[in-house]
Amino acid sequence: MRPRSSLIAIAVFFAALGAAFALQRSVLQQFLDREDDPIITPPDANEKTEWVFARLRYPSFRGGMGGYWAMRGNWAIDYPKADRQFVQGVRRLTRIHARSVEKVVDLDTDEILDSPWVYVVEPGHWDLTDAQCAKLREYLLRGGFLMTDDFHGTFEWDVFMASMSRVFPDRPVVDLENSDPIFHVLYDLDERFQVPGIVMFQTGRIYEYDGIEARWRGIYDDRGRLMVAICHNMDLGDAWEWADHPLYPEKYASLAYRVGINYIIYAMTH
Amino acid sequence: MFQFLFKYPATVFSKGTLVFLSAWPVWILPALITAAAVLLAITVWRRPAGERSPIRGGRKAAIWGLQTALAALVLLLLWQPAISIATLKPQQNIIAVVVDDSQSMAIPEEGGTRLSIAQSALGSGILEKLGERFQVRLYRLGSRLERIDKLQDLNASMPSTRINDALKEVVAESASLPIGAVLLLSDGADNTAGIELEMIRNVRSHRLPIHTVGIGREQFSRDLEISDVQVAPRTLADSRLSAYVSFRQRGYTGGKATLKVLENGKTLASRQVTLKQDGVQQTEAIAFNAGIAGAKNLQFVVDTLVNEENGANNSLTRLVNVQSNRPRILYIEGEPRWEFKFIRRAMEEDRGLSLVSILRTTQNKIYRQGIDNPKELEDGFPSRVEDLFGYQAIILGGIEVSSFTSIQQELIRQFVDRRGGGLLFLAGRSGLADGGYGTSPLTDLLPVLLPDKKNTFHRDPATVELTPAGRDSLICRLEDDPAANADRWKKLPYLANFQEVGEPKAGAVVLAEFLPTSKGRFPLLVTQKYGMGRTAVFASAGSWRWQMQQPLADRTHEMFWQQLLRWLATETPGRVLSSSPQPMLYDNGHLELRARIYDTSYLAMADATVEARIIGPENTSAVVTLSPDPLQSGDYTAEWVAERPGSYLAEVLAKRGNEEIGRDVLMFRREDGVAEKFHAEQNRELLETLASETGGRYYTPRSLSNIADEIQYSEAGIATRETRDLWNMPALFLLALLLRASEWLLRRRWGAV
Repeated sequence: MRPRSSLIAIAVFFAALGAAFALQRSVLQQFLDREDDPIITPPDANEKTEWVFARLRYPSFRGGMGGYWAMRGNWAIDYPKADRQFVQGVRRLTRIHARSVEKVVDLDTDEILDSPWVYVVEPGHWDLTDAQCAKLREYLLRGGFLMTDDFHGTFEWDVFMASMSRVFPDRPVVDLENSDPIFHVLYDLDERFQVPGIVMFQTGRIYEYDGIEARWRGIYDDRGRLMVAICHNMDLGDAWEWADHPLYPEKYASLAYRVGINYIIYAMTH
Repeated sequence: MFQFLFKYPATVFSKGTLVFLSAWPVWILPALITAAAVLLAITVWRRPAGERSPIRGGRKAAIWGLQTALAALVLLLLWQPAISIATLKPQQNIIAVVVDDSQSMAIPEEGGTRLSIAQSALGSGILEKLGERFQVRLYRLGSRLERIDKLQDLNASMPSTRINDALKEVVAESASLPIGAVLLLSDGADNTAGIELEMIRNVRSHRLPIHTVGIGREQFSRDLEISDVQVAPRTLADSRLSAYVSFRQRGYTGGKATLKVLENGKTLASRQVTLKQDGVQQTEAIAFNAGIAGAKNLQFVVDTLVNEENGANNSLTRLVNVQSNRPRILYIEGEPRWEFKFIRRAMEEDRGLSLVSILRTTQNKIYRQGIDNPKELEDGFPSRVEDLFGYQAIILGGIEVSSFTSIQQELIRQFVDRRGGGLLFLAGRSGLADGGYGTSPLTDLLPVLLPDKKNTFHRDPATVELTPAGRDSLICRLEDDPAANADRWKKLPYLANFQEVGEPKAGAVVLAEFLPTSKGRFPLLVTQKYGMGRTAVFASAGSWRWQMQQPLADRTHEMFWQQLLRWLATETPGRVLSSSPQPMLYDNGHLELRARIYDTSYLAMADATVEARIIGPENTSAVVTLSPDPLQSGDYTAEWVAERPGSYLAEVLAKRGNEEIGRDVLMFRREDGVAEKFHAEQNRELLETLASETGGRYYTPRSLSNIADEIQYSEAGIATRETRDLWNMPALFLLALLLRASEWLLRRRWGAV
């Protein structure tokens, strides 16, 4: 190849690369490439409702295992099928005026303040900046509610706490008592068990890493109201997402729905 | 001069009766005057005038008129006119000299205090002159009438001025004593309700003239006086209260003054006010926090101004009973909503109210919060009167009216109308017009005329502004300064949604309006009185954004909901409601106690046993039984006298048999000597009226010199009727001379002499 042709080829290559990057940015705004299991947008997606499934988008942890998690957007795990399938249950089983589709919020704008209930998946992979920690703290103290799900074992707990301890340096994470209203606000959930993700199809185990036992934890405010409901060593999102799968056991999906609904109604009453 | 011309003082003519002493019949007098007039006319007009005579035409008439007047005067004198007048018999009558000895008489005037002016006026020969003809009795007037021996016994120390009562005593004494007249020296600053008509009638029936001497300035040149303070007598702990302080001032127009609320000397609130024109009543609002539960004596003070002549009238005390009970509000919500959550959170911070809620979470389940026991509201919204009437207010959230049975709807109506509870309607996709309220019996309770359409609830943003009424309302008070408050409302984050509620009804008050982006402004918060209670509508379910969109330290959302719900529930009566028409007792401890007793259905209860346990200053205690009021079933009354000044607390307890119906606390306070410091300018109008209505005369200290002569003309006491000749009055001779001289001068002028 002559030098001139080589230069043209290089220019075309970078132009194509730039176009691809630009295209990628525009679709990133819609999070289409983050959809685990794309699903058709329902016709009432734009309905204005009281409650919307708000999914928290966060920066992922890049340390430890050489940036493995950076290859995926952990915030978007199970997105959007889990959200929409869960919302169907919310609409059918409660009187909550719920939108059929989720919305994605982050801690960089004030949009999250219009959603006093937020779901975060795989927070064992999150890495919040100080500003995001401050924003989340303010959001929760004003009356917001955070539900965490799908993170497992000691290592992911430590990653979760690395950010959460900066959100609330002075508030302990405690195990929730069975008597806590969050387990009774609609369904009585005294008998809870570990809800596995679909990883059990491959491993045959219902737990991941060393997260053998499901932990129902939380952080309370000064008046004894839960602000953060931590579902550790379980994967409710998968249960919502694969509730329609013939191989996914009904008992797990059922508990996942009831837990999710209780957490929403608790957030809307406390 | 008057007495020189007419021989007698003016009092003689005003009180006496004209008589003729001649034995000839009086009717002859006008006949003769007529005859004289005719004869003179003939004489004047028959005399040949001649062409050169200067007296003709109108001039003849003038001459005739003057001659006729002179003839009439001469004839009148022939009939011996005289005046008949009742006169006190010397040395047989008493003159009651009553001197105001209240504290207001210590106010300095030009030439000394008011009292020293009165003492000087009497001591400069007046008492001696009176003593020459009458027996003089000296009295000091204050909260009572006391006889004294000498003027030096006066010291301006009595805590009040009760002119009416004092005069009653004098009249009573006149039944057994020959009191011929009363001489009252006072500034007229009476502390009672004024002079009773009955007392005036009584004085007139005794024909006892009351002569008054006005002491003191009729108007201060530099003074500010608080005339009234309006503040709620009951409230809940930590409530925000507004007091409306009315005052007048002279001499400080356009100046600044500091208005304060004090409790035990501690300033609860303070604000600067700009003083309006002289003599104009000005009312200023001041907001403060009622604080913890308990009986509060609050002082409302305007700091003494520079060179103010009377600084003692710049303060008034009011009693506020900050109740320790927590009214319970029943909130029913048709579906989980953020508004529900955030209202609950706002009320969790309110120690004065308790929010009990029913939330329909699913089609078949309800979730209850704030209940006292597991049975409470187990079956949902109450269907029995005794269950519902146990609450003080109700909030109907986004729930269709069809969710309530017709019995429940009627109970809600009676809850407001008869029980005196508060009812708040909230917006929602199942609320107000969209919930069918416009076509239900509950529409009467709404302060708005709901639009006759559906889809009135919009999940669109809208900003908020206060109306003029809202700027004055305590419900919407986020800032003490009215302008800052209105500005803060404008800057609030937008509401998440709103609902069209139509026009406000007559009598309803719109406190706030929402302004959607689609232009226009619509009622957001509307209140009204309904029956014994009150209702309101809040046409949004999106105020929760005020909490989420503002910094954690911002208290807008909590303050608004706490103030709105306190307004809704505070005035709802309990089963025992005690009151007194006059809880501030000035210089008189007479207290009227009232209590209204209800049964569990809030119907008047006539068979209760009601007693008040009173504790007061210096270990005062008493138990007073209240008797049923025969005119009003369910009302009980009693009277009691607070002997000592200070604050009192009465716990009113109602029972039926051994069952306690309920109890209520009433505060009252006796203050002595305080009223005396108000209205301290001379009340000349009262003194003049008193004198003129009783046949007396109003004097000033300077015009008092003739009192000894004038006071003798009275029909009270031991009096004789005297007849005094008038024919020899110099004025009559002068008149005759004047008539004759006038004729001569006229004739001379016309060239006839």
